[in-house]
Parts: sequence; structure tokens; C-alpha cells
Amino acid sequence: MTLRIRFAFLLVMLCQFIWAQSDSIKLKEVLVSDANLKKYSNSQSVLKLSDSIISKNEALLTDLLNFNSTIYFKEYGRGMLSTVSFRGTTSSQTAVIWNGININSQMNGSTDFNTISGSDYNSVSIKAGGGSVIYGSGAIGGTVHLNNDLAFYNRFENTLKFDYGSFNTIGLNYKTNISNEKWSAQIGFSKNSSTNDYKYLNRYTWRGEQRWNQNGQYDIITMSANAGYKIDSKNTLKLYSQFSNTDRNTSLVVETETKSKYINGFNRNLMEYDGDFGKFKTNFKTAYIFENYQYFADNSTNFYSYGKTESLITKLDLGYTLFKSTQVNGILDYNRTKGYGTSFGNNVREISSAGILVKQDFSTEWKNELGIRKEFTDNYKSPVLFSLGSSYQFSKLYNFKLNLSRNYRIPTYNDLYWEEGGNPDLKPESSYQAEIGNVFTFKNISLTQNFYYMKIKDLLQWVPGKNGIWSPINKDNVNSYGAETLLNWKKQFGKNNVSANASYAYTISEDQETKKQLFFVPFNKVTASAAYSRNRISAYYQFLYNGFVYTRADNNPDEIINDYTVSNVGIDYDFKFLDSFKLGFQVLNLFNEDYESLEDRPMPGRNFNMYLTLKF
Amino acid sequence: MKLSKLLLIALSVSLFVSCSNDDDNDSKGQYENGFFILNEGSAGQGSVSFSSDDFSAFTKDAYTAANGTDLLGKYAQNIFFDGDKAYIIAGGSNVINVVNRYTFKLIAKIDSGLANPRYGVVKDGKAYVTNANTYYSANNPNGNTDDYIAVINLATNTYESKINLNATANRIVEENGKLYITEPYNSDKLLVVNIAAKALETPVTIGSSADTIEEENGTLYILRGPYGDRSEIVKVKLSDKSVSRITFPESLDGAGFLDIYQNKIYYTAGNSVYSIAASATEASTTPILTANLGYLYGFAVNNNHIYLADSGDFKADSKAYIYSLTGSLQKELTVGVGPNGFYFND
Repeated sequence: MTLRIRFAFLLVMLCQFIWAQSDSIKLKEVLVSDANLKKYSNSQSVLKLSDSIISKNEALLTDLLNFNSTIYFKEYGRGMLSTVSFRGTTSSQTAVIWNGININSQMNGSTDFNTISGSDYNSVSIKAGGGSVIYGSGAIGGTVHLNNDLAFYNRFENTLKFDYGSFNTIGLNYKTNISNEKWSAQIGFSKNSSTNDYKYLNRYTWRGEQRWNQNGQYDIITMSANAGYKIDSKNTLKLYSQFSNTDRNTSLVVETETKSKYINGFNRNLMEYDGDFGKFKTNFKTAYIFENYQYFADNSTNFYSYGKTESLITKLDLGYTLFKSTQVNGILDYNRTKGYGTSFGNNVREISSAGILVKQDFSTEWKNELGIRKEFTDNYKSPVLFSLGSSYQFSKLYNFKLNLSRNYRIPTYNDLYWEEGGNPDLKPESSYQAEIGNVFTFKNISLTQNFYYMKIKDLLQWVPGKNGIWSPINKDNVNSYGAETLLNWKKQFGKNNVSANASYAYTISEDQETKKQLFFVPFNKVTASAAYSRNRISAYYQFLYNGFVYTRADNNPDEIINDYTVSNVGIDYDFKFLDSFKLGFQVLNLFNEDYESLEDRPMPGRNFNMYLTLKF
Repeated sequence: MKLSKLLLIALSVSLFVSCSNDDDNDSKGQYENGFFILNEGSAGQGSVSFSSDDFSAFTKDAYTAANGTDLLGKYAQNIFFDGDKAYIIAGGSNVINVVNRYTFKLIAKIDSGLANPRYGVVKDGKAYVTNANTYYSANNPNGNTDDYIAVINLATNTYESKINLNATANRIVEENGKLYITEPYNSDKLLVVNIAAKALETPVTIGSSADTIEEENGTLYILRGPYGDRSEIVKVKLSDKSVSRITFPESLDGAGFLDIYQNKIYYTAGNSVYSIAASATEASTTPILTANLGYLYGFAVNNNHIYLADSGDFKADSKAYIYSLTGSLQKELTVGVGPNGFYFND
């Protein structure tokens, strides 16, 4: 019992910045879905957000990451399309990885973070820096990992969370874990919806009427089922399956605009085999991923445009322990995507690749990683990708990390095949990256400082061409560099537990021709949070500062999105009915800040949320 | 009591001040005697820039300067005038902003009955505005036949009725109670609408890719620049709808814009401007000027000048260039995003 409490407490209070430090929780056997994330990340910075942190944030991934990481978001209004910039890169240069599989859209290359609900995963990890050797296209600025880890011990646990908040925002999330030492199953369901009709602070129409967010309704449903079976001590089979549908209107900028609607969804199935034969390890993955969208330019009609892709991904990862200190993984993968739709006909793309990863631990203090990968495809000329890293623990106090890598982002279906304008002769975007990490650990404080420098080549840009038809070309070269600081502190005073986290990112992302900052990349971003708990009560505070961004490529000082500061507070009380019966209340945008994350798309003022979490 | 007194004083002072201002220089507003550049906008709103004829005064965003936070709307397409009012069509927002053409103060918004409005003309207190409505796709087969003209009562600034066109519609001119309409993407006809009867007359087949249209002395001059074929000026005599053509040589393929000024036809191909007499029967291949710009997006000839707008990349402010009639550059102006037209305010 005490062990369990301690375990829960650790989860609640910890915001683990660094994987390497998470060894303290090794109570029960948990099979992680993405072994390479842990294995090959010693020389980079990984921030892991556990489910207790996920549950304190608003349901959609944008809020979770916006308030807890250095990633910058731009949202087309609350709950609408949300894209990222990580380390000053573009929205398709952050890869989202689901249980080890890259799930960025084949059509537009990016992920919309408002279509994903954080509670569908056991953990969400944010890895800063390049990762194309392992994760493929788009892993330039960094990667976001959505993981479902399967545990093998006797349990039958249910979690039910119900949220109700302003603007009819309703969240329902149910998760069950059933497992013993041989079997493990996880079934989850989530539904998040809102009429999203919030008032725009201090904004009135020319007739003097209060302006509000029209046509902003959204409804996101996700179902997942994951299972693992240990055939024997050497062989394990795992299955992950997920289905999601996002039905969303698109919020109006001007009241008279035609109301449109965007429906998108995915279906992902992944089968994984793990074989552990001592020195020799094998992992085989087959995934089938289906994504689709329908766009209704006028949602009063039935006319829509659509696009669909179906991808088959197979990945064979053979690991061999050469010496006690040296492990080698050889990775072969094959990827076949078929895409079709109203805008790009019917096209098939096949990509194969071969790669080698080497990990060498000279000692417990000094760890080295090396990776190299080459792709083979008819579609484009692919660069040789590599990653080279080292981590040295000088003392208990100080850990030094160094990483060099070459990464890329391939052209999307839209870029290649869009009718009219698609350009089949595009090169991938590619980057060289160097980063240094300093991790200081002192008693209850951990401080991470990363410095990075990135040279990104051949950025894809759509430009107006002959006869006014827009077409993508490899155009810009960008240098991004900056610093990230992550601070984490926790302390126990008797029955009182206190913790605090903070992050700061300073980012320069400069077009090499114009010497201008990329638009929609802030120079500064700060997040902070503090939490306090005593017995059954816990309270927390979150803070976000987003520096101003330019909205134009020419850095016109009149065309910017102003900086903004948003704070949230929350409190919850556990009635200790069932295993846990928690009632919570949150005030979001506590100080009623009038802000926009994109021009003419105001975000809501002060609003409220209540939640009830049951565990049984 | 005191407060209301103060207000009264303030009010009378301001009245007095504004009266005396009027007495001093009899100006209708700061945007008199100049020209507007309409900027389409892209991710952000459309905007309107103003320059005085002598270029001494310039305002980059006249609408915001006059109306603060009010939003003009997306994809600003066209401005038309009536009396002392200007009507700014924002196609992407289905709205027409009615402003005083000299102060740019917002008077009203016409915000019903419009669906992707494009261009407008005025006749006898009513505006006739082409609406592209929906666009054709495999599951929207009516997209090319649902365009219409919105008839707007300018006394009340309200939509009154529509005239269905059963075709696609874009640019529009009015002459002698008739509307003449071209559309470059899906039409090879000049549509003719009788205003009094509110009905389509027999259209004139002119060929595909017909865009800019000008009327001069009873004849319509229409420029068409079909892809992969020869460009043409199509002349339609209004009295009998007879058609004659000036076919351009291949070197002028992809002609862009046409304007008529002082009995001369000015037209563009690529970034070059050419001119011929209105009575000419052959094209000139000797440019008056070749501008150094990305993609020519707006064009006009007026007040002894040639006006060119560079589309830019739609991610930053772009430029307008003003040349003399003989082709020497007079002025370069940094305007808004995607400048697409010039409108003269004399």
C-alpha cells in the first residue's frame, strides 16, 4: 500500500526532464513501445510528461505541450488547426512518433496538435533536436513521442475522467488496464467536444455587437486498444490499434465568411514482435496507417474535397551485443504509401532504407552513440543521414552531452502531386545540426541547458509562378540557433510536497538570403509551473509567456502578433472513495489576458473547467 | 451635472474645430487627388494603400488608419465608386465595405446576398456585383453555372435581388443599360445582361482566357491570353455585337492586362508594357518598358502614368511601380500584400 502511494506520489510530483534520471521507478515490469527512444537518447534532451501531468492540462495536446515545453504553437483559434515550431523550424520539421512510428501526415507533412488528446497515451515525451536516423522524415527540430507502454503484472484498473468547462467543453476519457504476467491489455476511449462559442474580449462589430467565435465547434473521438502477449521468456508479441475522428468547423475571422468544415481521421494498426535471445535481440514491426480528410468549403452543402493515404510500414531491427559495452542495431525498413484524392490524383510512393545504430558505453559515466542511415527511393535524392553523440557524467553534479546529426524532411504528397502546381522534381529539406547539453543535478534541483546550431537547406516554399499558379520549390536556406533552459525542483516538508518547473527558449531562425527572422518563430518563450500538495489536496499554477512573432517574411514591425502571458490555476481534492475519487476545478487564463496566437484569431478570456477523476 | 457640462463644452469645441478646419482648406478628406492601390492580402486581411498624385503623401493602410480594428475582410478584389463613396469588395469574406472615398471612414457593410463577390459597377443608384459563388469539382457539378450578379440598392446598402448567369463571371463593365462580363478560367463567352429586363441576352463567343475588358467609343476591348496559344485583343462593337481581333505574335503569348488611355491601347505580356493606337489592327512588339518584378498582378494607365503592381510572394509587403507614358520609372511604392489593382480618386 505504502509502495503504491509512493509510486503515485512520484508520478504526481515528478516532471521528468531527463530519461536517464528516471531509473528510480523500477517497481514493475513495463515494456516500452519505443525501445530506441530510451536507448539512443543519451546525448540529447528528452522531457517526459507522465499521465499525472497530462491529466492536469486541457485535453488537447496543444495545451499540454504549450504549457510544459519549449515548443511554440500557433493556433487558428481555440481548438482549431494547431501547428508547431520547434527550435525555430517549420511545422513539418517536428515529427510526431506514435509507439515508434512516424505519423506526420503524408499529405501536408505536419501534425495538427489539436486533433490529439494527451490522455490516450501513458506518456508524452518531447525530444529536442534531430532524430531522422531513427524516426525518419521531419525529425529536424525535434520529435514528440506518444507512447502506450504495456505493463505485465497482475492488475485490473479503470480510470474514468469527466471534464466540464466553459463554452460547453466536455471531455470524457476512459481507460482500462487488464494484465497479468503473460498478458497485458489496454482499452481506451476519449471524446472531447466544445461548442467553442467564446466571446472575443474587447472586440465589437461595426454595428456595435459583441464579437464571438463563430463556427468553432469541434468534436474529437479516439478509441484505442493495445495488447501484449509474452509467448515465453524470449518472445513477445504486441498489438497497437487506434482509431480517431475529428469533426471540426473552422472558426470565422470575419462574421460574413462562408462557414466551412474539416473532418479528418486516422486508423493506425501496429504489430510488433520482440525476440530477446541474450546477445541477440530482434524487433519486427508492421504498421498499417490510414489517414483521410474531407473539406467542406461551405458546410451548408454536401460538396467536399478529400484526400486519403494508406501506408504500409515494415521495420526490422536486429540488435547484437558485441561486447558488454557495445551494442549494434541494424535497421531495415520499407514503406509503401498510396495516396489519392481530389487534389493529387492517385500516386504510390515506395521508400526503403537501411541503417545502423551503435551504442558504446565505455563506462557508466561515458556513453557514445552513432547512427547512420540511407534511403532508397525513386521519388527524390535522399541524403545520407547520421547522428553522432556522446554523454559524459563528470560528477554527480554535472553531465555533459554532445550531439551532431544530419536530418531531413521529404516532400509531401501535396508538394509533389498537387493539381495544379505540384512539383515532382523537389529535393528533401535537409539540415546539419550540432548541440551541446549541460545537465546539472544538485539535491532536488535539476538544471538542463542546451545550445544548438542548425543549418537547414532547401526549405520548400510555395510561390506564385507562371500564369499565377502556385508551385513549391526548394528555396530558402535557414540558420537556426538558440538556447534552452529547463529547471526542475521538488521538495518535501513533512506532509507538504512542493515542486516547480520552468523552461525558457531563446530562438534565432534566420533566412540566409534576407537575414530576417522566420515569421511565426518567437525569439522568446517561457513556461513555468508550481504544484503543492498535502494529504488529499493538491493545487497548481501554470504560466506561459510567448514573445512576439513577426507575421511577415520581411519582418515588418507593424505586422506582428503581440507577446502574451497566460496563467492557469487548479485545485483538486481526493475524496478517497474507490481507489481514488478526485474532484478538481481549474481557472484558465486567470488574468483574462486578451491575446491572439495568429492574426485576427482571438483566444478566449478567463474560463473555467471542472473535472472528476475516478480510479477503480 | 458638471460632467455633462464638460462634455457639452468638449463637444462644441470639437464642432468648432472641425468647422474651422473645413473653412480653412475646403478639403473633402486626406485621400483626395490621388490613387488607391488595393492589396489582396493573404494570411491576413486585405488592405488599401493611398498615394497622392504627386507621391508626396502616402498611407500604407488607409482603411485601418480610418477605422482602427475593424477588419476589411479577406482577398480584397475590387473597388468601385459612386458619388463620394467607395465600395471595397472583400471576396473571401463575402462583404463589401462602404466608405467615404475621401476619408475612408466606414459608412456601412453590405454583408448579405454575396458569395465570393468579384467585381462591381454602378448604374442609377444600384450596384451590380459579379459573384463566383461555388467552384466546380467532381462532386459539385454546378460550380460553373451558379455564378450570379447581386443587385444592391446603394441608398440602403442592402442586397435586393440576383440575376442568375448560368455561367462563370468575373470582370464586369456597364454601358448603355447593359452589363458585359468576362471570366478567364471556364468561359469562352462575353456575357451580356440587360439591366432593365434583368435578363441575359445572347452571349458573344470571344474565346477562352478573356480577362480585362474596357469600353471606348462604342467598342469593347477585351484581352485574352490563352495558355499555349496566341494572345488577342478582341473588339466587340456594341451596336451589332460584331467581333474583330488583333492577334498577337507568339512572342507576346500569355498577355496579362489591357487599359485604354487617351485613345491608345496599353497592354502587358510578361513584365513588359506595349501600346498601340485604338484604331490599330496589329500588335506592337516593342515594349515601352520592361519592369523588374516577380509577377505582374495589377495594371492601369491614367494621369499620364503607367501603374504596375508586383504580386510579391504573399508573405511580405510588395511593391507598386509608377512609370511615365514613355517608360521611365517615376516612383516605387511599398504597399501591402498582393497588390492587384489601382483606383483613381480625383
